[in-house]
Amino acid sequence: MEEELMSFAPRPAVQPWARVNTGRRIQILLASIVPILLTAAVILVTGLDRNVALMGVFLPLQLIAASAVGFRAFGRRGVGDAALIVFVVFFATFVLVLLASVVFSLVSQGAQAMSWGFFTQNNRYVSNTTSLEYGGVGHAIIGTLLVVGLTTVVTVPLGIAMAIYLTQSQSKTKGIIRTLTQAISGLPSVVAGLFILSIAITLDWQKSGFLGSMALLPLMLPTIARVAEEALRLVPVDLRYAALALGAPNYRAFFQVILPAAKSGLVTAILLGVARIIGETAPLILTVPINNGTSWNLFSGEIMTLPAYVYNYLGSAFVPSQNRAWGGALVLMILVAILFGATRILSRSKSLKSKPTKEKASK
Amino acid sequence: MNSLAKASTLSSENISVWFGQRQVLSDVNLVFPANKVTALIGPSGCGKSTFIRTLNRMHELIPGAGLAGSVYLDGKDIYAEDFDAVSVRIKIGMVFQKPNPFPTMTIRDNILSGLRLSGRKIENGDEVVETSLRRASIWNEVKDRLNDQAISLSGGQQQRLCIARSLAMNPQVLLMDEPCSALDPGSTRRIEETIQELSSSMTIVIVTHNMQQAQRVSDQTAFFLADDNTPGGVVEFGATEQIFNGPIDQRTNDYVNGHFG
Repeated sequence: MEEELMSFAPRPAVQPWARVNTGRRIQILLASIVPILLTAAVILVTGLDRNVALMGVFLPLQLIAASAVGFRAFGRRGVGDAALIVFVVFFATFVLVLLASVVFSLVSQGAQAMSWGFFTQNNRYVSNTTSLEYGGVGHAIIGTLLVVGLTTVVTVPLGIAMAIYLTQSQSKTKGIIRTLTQAISGLPSVVAGLFILSIAITLDWQKSGFLGSMALLPLMLPTIARVAEEALRLVPVDLRYAALALGAPNYRAFFQVILPAAKSGLVTAILLGVARIIGETAPLILTVPINNGTSWNLFSGEIMTLPAYVYNYLGSAFVPSQNRAWGGALVLMILVAILFGATRILSRSKSLKSKPTKEKASK
Repeated sequence: MNSLAKASTLSSENISVWFGQRQVLSDVNLVFPANKVTALIGPSGCGKSTFIRTLNRMHELIPGAGLAGSVYLDGKDIYAEDFDAVSVRIKIGMVFQKPNPFPTMTIRDNILSGLRLSGRKIENGDEVVETSLRRASIWNEVKDRLNDQAISLSGGQQQRLCIARSLAMNPQVLLMDEPCSALDPGSTRRIEETIQELSSSMTIVIVTHNMQQAQRVSDQTAFFLADDNTPGGVVEFGATEQIFNGPIDQRTNDYVNGHFG
């Protein structure tokens, strides 16, 4: 295949549809700049609030300008296209700026806490005024990985089993189960924590990391079940029929054909489930006792988690403690990025080996 | 070389089919003798595809499906209580209208998938792969790329791969539901040649909308028809030669000569 492709003389890619004449280029440029200048002028002259001006002056002006250019070029259909482009670009930029500002404040405030020691040390012997060079979130990283890991190990099979039930069975209770699952996904996380706490009190259990895992379970389950259901639903029914027509029992058809075909979607389901719970604070505060030393024991004693760490230091009046809180939040974000990146690479590497090539014309 | 299973005689007795409350087929009685190719023809919506799916118990997978009558494989009722659907489908293979190779598997794994899916042990896998691909006349095109993904093949090659996948199971009967409807003339011709060769070792039932194809490949032909709002049924069944050149029923004559449908 590749040899065949090589035998064609290489030609640079051309995109004749992308050519725009100079006149229109100038119009587009003007339509982009004039509204900005006018808005700036309005703000300077009237002293209007900037945010109000952005929505109330800039957006309408930009819409009018783009529509005018669109109308000159293509008539009425040009107006629709132009308006859509303005809306999409405007609100995409809006959301991106919001997102970037969150990341920026996290990075800028958390950066001063960053050091190798911060990742590896625990907080024993650290007081409110101890310099940032000492102590760290090592114990909280371990605790978060253990608590979230246990939740994931328990919830993923449950959630995928639910998704299998919702897609593969023809039972009449499916509708009710789906509705209930959606209802649970709106459950306030603090209620999940209180639920487990009340069970623990009733049964006279000690608070522990295990209880924290159980409190996170009802938050993770609906996410995994719903996303996995969509992933399984996307597998064409043809494939199932093909497997069954070859004499496969249902379970083999599922494990050998349907599950591999839905793999990337199921990985997404698990990732979204982890993302849903890894930053959850309220259930952990209610059910997990915190400490400053490293603990590997989920089932008894105290164990620190990153959200609890952040919560613990956030309200402090001391600057080093506030910096620790920011640092913990940044570490949580880095941890999520690493987990997601690694999972994506691991789940992709296998199918990369032989990518589907374009359909070859039969000779 | 694998010892090939013997072809079997398949027959349907008073097959009627429902989807929910709606009856779509009424009293179909057909006999598919061993080593013969039978074509099922008729306009769209007359129940041919539905009927062919009752022959290997794929019909029952559709929610709301209903069935009356019997299907006999060498005299044994495949709907009998002591006959399960999985063992029926192992003996009676099926090729679908749309090519449906398993997208997550290589060409080689697709061929062996039937054996794996039915829980058989794979001995001499290479031999099974080569034999099956040769019988489906696609060996020469794919022999150097057995470890490529199956979906990298063209549509016609994918369909022949699906035929080869069914053949790897050594079925006694092969059901084909419009196997060439999405293919170009070259691929269609190769599949027709394949059908001819296969009939020496198995019984074949093929649904087709192509009159010339029915004439080229089949020994006998059944003409299905569903009048407005009535269940479909067989209007005429006989040797292909007779159905196309001297049909008894006027409606058959009109259909094979392209006056309707």
